[in-house]
Amino acid sequence: MIKLLGAVLILFAGTMIGFQQAARLAARPRQLRQLAHALQRLETEIGYGHTPLPEAMERTADAVPEPLAGLFRDATERVNGPEGLTFRESWEQAMTSGWGSTALKKTELSIMHRLGSTLGISDKEDQLKHIHLALLQLKAEEDAAREDQTRYEKMWKSLGVLIAVLVVILMV
Amino acid sequence: MLDRIMHLLPPELKAVLDKLPESAMEQLEEIRIREGRPLELGVRGQSRFAASDGTLRAGSDGAYKPNADTCRKLLEKITNHSLYAMEEELKRGFITVAGGHRIGLAGRTILDGGHVRGIRDIGGFNIRIAREVVGSARNLLPKLLDKNRKSVHSTLILAPPQQGKTTIVRDIARSISYGHWGMFEHAAGWSGRKVAIVDERSEIAACVRGIPTFDVGPRTDVMDACPKAEGMMMLLRSMSPDVVIVDEIGRPEDGDAIREASHAGISVIATAHAYDLQDARGRPVLRQLLEEGAFTYVVELKRSADGFMHRVIAADRRDKLPAAAREPTATASIGEQEQAYAGMQRGDGP
Repeated sequence: MIKLLGAVLILFAGTMIGFQQAARLAARPRQLRQLAHALQRLETEIGYGHTPLPEAMERTADAVPEPLAGLFRDATERVNGPEGLTFRESWEQAMTSGWGSTALKKTELSIMHRLGSTLGISDKEDQLKHIHLALLQLKAEEDAAREDQTRYEKMWKSLGVLIAVLVVILMV
Repeated sequence: MLDRIMHLLPPELKAVLDKLPESAMEQLEEIRIREGRPLELGVRGQSRFAASDGTLRAGSDGAYKPNADTCRKLLEKITNHSLYAMEEELKRGFITVAGGHRIGLAGRTILDGGHVRGIRDIGGFNIRIAREVVGSARNLLPKLLDKNRKSVHSTLILAPPQQGKTTIVRDIARSISYGHWGMFEHAAGWSGRKVAIVDERSEIAACVRGIPTFDVGPRTDVMDACPKAEGMMMLLRSMSPDVVIVDEIGRPEDGDAIREASHAGISVIATAHAYDLQDARGRPVLRQLLEEGAFTYVVELKRSADGFMHRVIAADRRDKLPAAAREPTATASIGEQEQAYAGMQRGDGP
């Protein structure tokens, strides 16, 4: 009886691990797309609206879903905070601390860090160029992520179940 | 007033200023921040250097020196982290922040076809602290009144920089707008007049999002951050003012707009940079306006230890009115203003 219960638990856990990995694979291109949307929004605010950066960030946060919205909101809160952080510092802190809650990887984080070190400190054309560059890099990442998704999503789903079955068989 | 500027300063700079003696704080006029060089403060018209323990000294030895990081933080704060949104301000070389404080910038300019397009590598800041002095024109205004029209005469106010021109015109605008005409027997019962201010550098009214932060009176309209000549014409057409107030005229198009206004029967109160009337006559635009009789009065302004001193000269019949000695623009006994006055030896000048 206990053996049976254990086997069921292992099967369940294996399946779940597989599904979770598959979900992460599916979430990454989606969030990359949302991040690109966010940057486009920022681009518009800076390029056409001449909106000051903290306000532009707030509007960007309103335009994208969580967990990405949280990143932008956090950066805005830090920059307006009493410590007198520079925009770059607040941006980096917000991205680094919030990155774990997203499905995004280190490569995207470094793209965002590079962008953060240039935002707000140069004229409009320069700002737009930097945002554009980041968008191109994110697009390349998104393409790669989509490829990974089609290739590995199904695999992870079945792999989780199959490994669980293997462990059960070995135990019995 | 100072609180408004304090939140813009980086923590390390704020720490130094927080240690300053109270008396110096109250009379602080300028904070001059230069990257890698001693922190200079303008206190009561005198230059002082501040050490990191808050002591003020005449020499620059041992003074606190803001570093590159501090200057970067300051620039970010005063531009609200958005240099790209400040292109117009960078072209003019200064930023006006909430409270009417003006921050002058110096650095390496970017040229575009021979014209300055902006400043980058900003290494020098001059924070000029604006102070509002209600009643500073109390003694001056009654001398400018026009009995026939129950309004004021067109007046040109002359003074070198930092002598309180802006403070005075702000108070004139407020007084006319409220109808506080001062001690003048004929003026009793006159109502306030519609005042229009063209505030090219956002200093007179210190507008934030179009709303004046200084009290410029209930009948006052402000055209903020607008070129003077264009602004005057727009206000003439759209807001039907009785009195137009402009700061620092000097370009040919300003002259045209003032002529237009005076032909329309509107009084213009303008300020200009000049030491005295003689000096003003050396400037082509001002000389022409004076010769044409666009201004009825010329006021020379000078700041002394007792406050603002003025001398009124009738512009079109100068020979009949001997130049009198300068008199204070406000008496020392203006009630509750007295204290503010003692701690206030300058306005926010030009």
